[in-house]
Amino acid sequence: MADAEAMAAGIVPGQKLSTALGLLPGLATFERDTAREQQALESLACWAGRFTPTVSLAPPNELLLEIGGCLRLFGGIQAIVSAVAAGCAEQAYTPGWAVAPTALAARWLARQGSGALCADLTSLHAALSALPCSAPAWAVEVNGRLESFGVRQLGALRAMPAAGLRRRLGNEPVDDLARAWGEIPDPQLAFVFPERFALNLELPSRVEQAEALLFAGQRLFATLAGWLSARQLRVRRCTLRLTHDDGEASDLSLGFAEPASEEGRFLRLLREHLGRLVLRAPVEAVGLLADEVTESQGHSAHLFDQAPEGEGTLACLERLRARLGTEAVQVLLPVADHRPECASSAQDVASAGTKTPTRPASPASHVRPLWLLPAPQALSEQAGRPYWHGPLRLLSRPERLESGWWDEGEQGAAGDVRRDYFVARNPQGQWAWIFRDAGGWFLHGLFA
Amino acid sequence: MSALPLPVALADVLARGDVWRGDTLASLPEAAISSGHTELDAELPGGGWPCGCLTELLVDRSSIGEMSLLLPALGRLSGEGGWLALVAPPWVPHAPAWIAAGVALERLVIVRAGQDVAWSTEQLLACGGFSGVLAWPGEGVSAKALRRLQVAAEGRPTLACLWRPAQVADAPSPAPLRLALSADDSRLSVRVLKRRGRPPSRTVHLPFFASIPRPGRENRVVAGPTLSLVADRGLAATPVA
Repeated sequence: MADAEAMAAGIVPGQKLSTALGLLPGLATFERDTAREQQALESLACWAGRFTPTVSLAPPNELLLEIGGCLRLFGGIQAIVSAVAAGCAEQAYTPGWAVAPTALAARWLARQGSGALCADLTSLHAALSALPCSAPAWAVEVNGRLESFGVRQLGALRAMPAAGLRRRLGNEPVDDLARAWGEIPDPQLAFVFPERFALNLELPSRVEQAEALLFAGQRLFATLAGWLSARQLRVRRCTLRLTHDDGEASDLSLGFAEPASEEGRFLRLLREHLGRLVLRAPVEAVGLLADEVTESQGHSAHLFDQAPEGEGTLACLERLRARLGTEAVQVLLPVADHRPECASSAQDVASAGTKTPTRPASPASHVRPLWLLPAPQALSEQAGRPYWHGPLRLLSRPERLESGWWDEGEQGAAGDVRRDYFVARNPQGQWAWIFRDAGGWFLHGLFA
Repeated sequence: MSALPLPVALADVLARGDVWRGDTLASLPEAAISSGHTELDAELPGGGWPCGCLTELLVDRSSIGEMSLLLPALGRLSGEGGWLALVAPPWVPHAPAWIAAGVALERLVIVRAGQDVAWSTEQLLACGGFSGVLAWPGEGVSAKALRRLQVAAEGRPTLACLWRPAQVADAPSPAPLRLALSADDSRLSVRVLKRRGRPPSRTVHLPFFASIPRPGRENRVVAGPTLSLVADRGLAATPVA
């Protein structure tokens, strides 16, 4: 097998390696690895699950998609064919393809790279008749016989009496012709989508920059999206396993705020993660495992085009989390504690949605500021008054907040407090929430 | 080809959201949310805080009651099930006060964005899933970043507010609505620096409300600290026999 550049230099399959190297000294040769070819074909079959649930493998290198049942969903043959072709191109596959009413005919036409679109049997018969006899890839002796008959095209072969052909060529070619022409049924063995998703992709060269993994990631996630769609699942968490050149592997866990099945969303999240990732060592292979999957909840599409613009709240938060870190994007939950610094706790966005919010401990009649300082700030005292950008005027009676012996001495806990809180205002018009304890005056909160 | 221009009625042109007469306020194509204060609504184009465009609030010294301008609108948005986001707030939000303002905390996202305030705000605005985004970009936000934010906010059903220092009042900004806030003894003054429509004329004075404790009825102004020093901790902890 040779690529376009090698073909142009005159290299054809079946040549000796020395001849090929003589024609093109810079030629890179790879040994054929049938196991990996099979793996690639299976991953492509997974990917194709987004188009149709009925996919069949025709090893070594052919894939059959039954699209008759989903033409309406995609809006016609032309639309589905261009979607498949664009998807293949994104993954750097350049397939020969054809659309035909019978599976065998489609394979034969695709081998010629014709890109034939045969919607009915009449046009199919015309296209098949023009195919050379080498297209079906029958056994060598069959091809030799046909050569000696002087038959070059399938149309001419088909016109010959079948009984005589059976005697001379055996049953297989004649039956194949009948299958391709749609005269006898040709059931295909459907590809079974694997129970668990785990896909490994060896990179063509070692990758040292995390961003360069995006391309491989795109291929993996495209396959994942096809698999999810075919199995009616959504993924909540998946792991990208990077195998380094020293044999060690490192895992990159990608969590979603809600179960997702959309390829674009996977890639946006992956881009943020890769932007932050520093590779420990060059990467040789990338694997993708779907760790947590849930059943997809079916939903109706809109009758009119009224979907909101943009990606939606949770998808956006997911990307922010990937870039800024999990602890940078949080929601607050009230905690039943009278000490102001303990009255709120930061929570993860996804986990917060599942809990029912508790009521705050302090009664509504007590004023509470919108903002708290991260830690109480000591204030100086001038002429018996606390001072913060000017002398503070106390506007309320003291509110005593006291005790907290239960977590005293714990790391980072507020501990036992005994404070008198006041609302105060300075000459600039700033409203402050200050307290006084044994240590003096402190600024603790700001009304805004 | 006809040389005649298409007949367009003047009234149709004037009805467009982006065309306004010099003596009136513009009407906005997107909804506006009432600020909860009639006097302020009368000065805002569309009769409230505009959605789908950037609003700049310039405050010299914070904690003069500036959040109380937005809190009624935020409470209403949150009550309708909308998501709110605070990007790089200068202090820690205190949960009980936000609940008292009617904000559902499980839908109030706090983003500690560090250096990425502008980027985070832009993402939050562009995703279209938030009803309100409040950002504190600090001093270092560039004109280009502001323009990107305005583009991201355009046409979205989002109340987008930027808190900026009063020094930037003279600097040009792409935000269609800019307000400067200041406070004196008994009220909060709102000066409209820029808006769509008739040029701003007067300063709006608002009494303190919502989140600000008013001295008077329940709170008595006290002359000075009336507190006896808190008893020594060691003494207090000793059980009385």
